[in-house]
Amino acid sequence: MSDRMAKLIFWVGTLSSLALFLALTFDTHRNFDALTHADRIDERVVAGKRAFERHNCNDCHTILGFGGYYAPDLTRVYTRVGDETIRSRIERPEVVLAASYRKMPQQHVPPAEIVAMIAFFRWTSEIENGDWPPHDSEVRWKSSTRRLLAGAVMSPGAALVNQENCLACHALGDAGERTGPRLEYIGARRSPQYVAEYLADPQRFTPGTSMPGYGQLPEPQRRALAEFVATLASSRRETP
Amino acid sequence: MRYESQRVAYPYFVVALLLFGLQLVLGLWLAFNYFFTVPQAIVDVFPFATARAMHTNLLVLWLLLGFMGATFYAIPEETGSELAWPRLAIVQLVILVAVGVVALVGFLFGWTQGRPLLEIPRPLDLFVVAGVLMFLANVGVTIMRARRFTATQGSLLAGLVFLAVLYLFGIPFYRNLAVDWYYWWWVIHLWVEGAWELVTAALVAFMVIQLTGVERRVVERWLYVELGLFLFTGIAGTGHHYYWVAAPKYWLWVGGVFSSLEPLPIALMLLDTWRHMREARRPLRPRLTWVFLFGMAVLHFIGAGAFGMAHTLPQINYYTHGSQVTVSHGHLAFYGAYALVNLSFFYFAIPRLKRFPSDEYRSTLGHWAFWVMSLSLLGMSLAFGVAGVLQSYLERVQGQPYMVAQQPIRFWMFVAFVHGIGVLAGAVMVIAHLLTLRPEPRVEPAAEGARAT
Ligand code: HEC
Ligand code: HEC
Ligand code: HEM
Ligand code: HEM
Ligand SMILES: [Fe+2]
Repeated sequence: MSDRMAKLIFWVGTLSSLALFLALTFDTHRNFDALTHADRIDERVVAGKRAFERHNCNDCHTILGFGGYYAPDLTRVYTRVGDETIRSRIERPEVVLAASYRKMPQQHVPPAEIVAMIAFFRWTSEIENGDWPPHDSEVRWKSSTRRLLAGAVMSPGAALVNQENCLACHALGDAGERTGPRLEYIGARRSPQYVAEYLADPQRFTPGTSMPGYGQLPEPQRRALAEFVATLASSRRETP
Repeated sequence: MRYESQRVAYPYFVVALLLFGLQLVLGLWLAFNYFFTVPQAIVDVFPFATARAMHTNLLVLWLLLGFMGATFYAIPEETGSELAWPRLAIVQLVILVAVGVVALVGFLFGWTQGRPLLEIPRPLDLFVVAGVLMFLANVGVTIMRARRFTATQGSLLAGLVFLAVLYLFGIPFYRNLAVDWYYWWWVIHLWVEGAWELVTAALVAFMVIQLTGVERRVVERWLYVELGLFLFTGIAGTGHHYYWVAAPKYWLWVGGVFSSLEPLPIALMLLDTWRHMREARRPLRPRLTWVFLFGMAVLHFIGAGAFGMAHTLPQINYYTHGSQVTVSHGHLAFYGAYALVNLSFFYFAIPRLKRFPSDEYRSTLGHWAFWVMSLSLLGMSLAFGVAGVLQSYLERVQGQPYMVAQQPIRFWMFVAFVHGIGVLAGAVMVIAHLLTLRPEPRVEPAAEGARAT
């Protein structure tokens, strides 16, 4: 190889890659607004992002898969657990995570910042990023639930979920709200046994939660509910 | 050492080594947090997040200080002149170390920019920029005054300027999370797979020319090819971080194709080092310097090339992204490439800075240190790797929630911790050895020829 050739490789290689990269950067910027729903980024979302940075949450939690790997990814935390669980984790981690083998610090985050962060996570959960992370894929959750419900309309648990109006706070398939965790997500962490006990007295597990207690329901009904909720998960947890 | 002003390199090396030691202690604390339930009271005052910011910022700080010291050593020899302002180099060191100390103490009190690896708060960034401008001015003016340009020097300077410019993209606040990460990678990826590779390639070429006596023209011709390939694959290869940030789909192709080519320049660097060693006109002495230099070439290829390649295709990255697989690759690549190139340079330069009668030094402790540290680090990365594969499977394929999938991983983090103790032990040996380097008592005949000019 001659010196001239070597220099040629250097300049052609560098400049061609740089030109491609800058051109794609330009085009990516033209697409970002649509892919991230930039019109939904209001001042509250931005304040949430600032608060998220101020408290260095990102060095324990990943978001978009970047950051510390010590705690659950937050890209779709809003779709996964809903706003009240987000709130309770930030507000009183020492209480609601008391039983966990891994702790989150009590950072005395002001209430306004918590609200802003929830708005931020809500915005983040809606961006179109190729359905990552795979384990939080709403597409997968919804389609498996649709299949399951098609065969289980008559199951007593499914009927009770309707009757007790769980979907006023929980998401399931295409329906429901996002105050508490998505029902499909629960059984992957909790056993039917745990869910049945939780239903009887939620305050025992997550003090201060707005989740109503279902202690008035007969025990077999709570079991049926718990069994149904647990079967919704794609990977089931048998022991608490 | 032929120029008095090269001496300013030494304090840079000493500070870098001490920060390296501290970095590892914090690394052990991080791994400990993974398998042991740290009580809430401690988590409240010194959470994992703070320790991680310290671990990674210390890493970046000591590597950059090492690069700067190495540049101050190399530039006078390359230009054949004294450094323009040796005193400014010391002022610059004081500023950068002060920024480092304030930042670390600040982290403890929650003063942070809060973006991983770029936690240094914005006001302090101004001082970083000031320090770096001093550095570039010093080096730039030295080169301009001497009017002697070499490819090695050019690569070094280009890498350092590129590095400094990229840092600026990490400073603003971005309203949109996706845009934020888009430019975050301009700093992180274009640093480690662009600018720093230029610096490394230049330092390796410099050492090879001096140690082997192979003709400069030959070494620099290949240096051009290496640099061309690094930048060709590395710049567009940034796309391997844009798969899941809500960027357009074409990044799957661009990132996948270009980044799969990234191991090529690293392999070429390994091959070139090997070839120049065989063509050496002098005996390859001192041995330990070569152990580090060649060890670097090999582990650079394994850590960055092979471990990087393993998860760079989008089909795989979808499952491994942001898991312990990333940590495994991050450790082996950073150690293999940048920790070792710095340590090699320290072994190369310190005997010369201390004007040993020959370049030979007592090396027994150093040999032990290299093997204990490198094998432990390899073991640690493999343990992170097993944890990562498990995590990818349990969490991403099976769909287990994060905290459930972490349970079996705790054991492997314990294994990583145990190896981490070995890394720390090896590093303490390296640090002690380098800081107390002594000339070899009897000069062997073979060493006569190894005295570099
Ligand atoms: C020391 C590391 C650490 C820091 C810092 C931290 N967290 Fe956490 N966080 C955790 C851990 C660990 C969990 C999971 C505990 C569990 O579920 O058992 C968690 C859980 C959560 C959850 C619930 C996620 C889910 O899927 O159940 C949310 C939301 C959350 N954190 C938000 C935040 C926010 C916002 C911040 C910054 C103000 C923050 N965290 C800071 C460690 C941390
Ligand atoms: C008024 C709103 C509301 C209603 C109605 C409601 N929930 Fe909840 N639920 C919540 C909230 C909020 C949480 C999360 C509490 C926390 O973690 O802080 C929760 C938590 C849970 C959990 C515990 C999840 C876990 O992993 O710890 C289960 C199980 C559950 N709900 C089941 C049900 C079922 C079944 C119904 C209907 C019978 C129901 N919920 C009705 C709000 C509600
Ligand atoms: C004593 C040995 C070490 C131990 C036990 C250790 C442990 C750790 C741990 C547990 C993390 C956190 C990963 C996470 O967020 O989950 C981490 C991060 C990191 N460490 Fe170390 N480390 C050690 C040495 C090193 C060395 C020698 C280097 C580089 C040369 C290094 C570079 C890094 C980097 C770059 C990160 C960030 C990784 C990422 O973002 O993927 N560490 N380390
Ligand atoms: C010496 C060179 C390199 C170093 C020091 C290095 C270091 C790192 C670090 C620290 C990260 C984690 C960043 C974070 O998210 O916090 C990372 C991620 C990554 N690296 Fe490298 N790397 C190098 C070269 C390479 C090469 C050559 C390839 C590909 C062939 C590669 C592929 C990747 C990929 C795909 C990721 C993203 C992982 C994910 O999705 O989580 N790296 N690298
Ligand atoms: Fe990269």
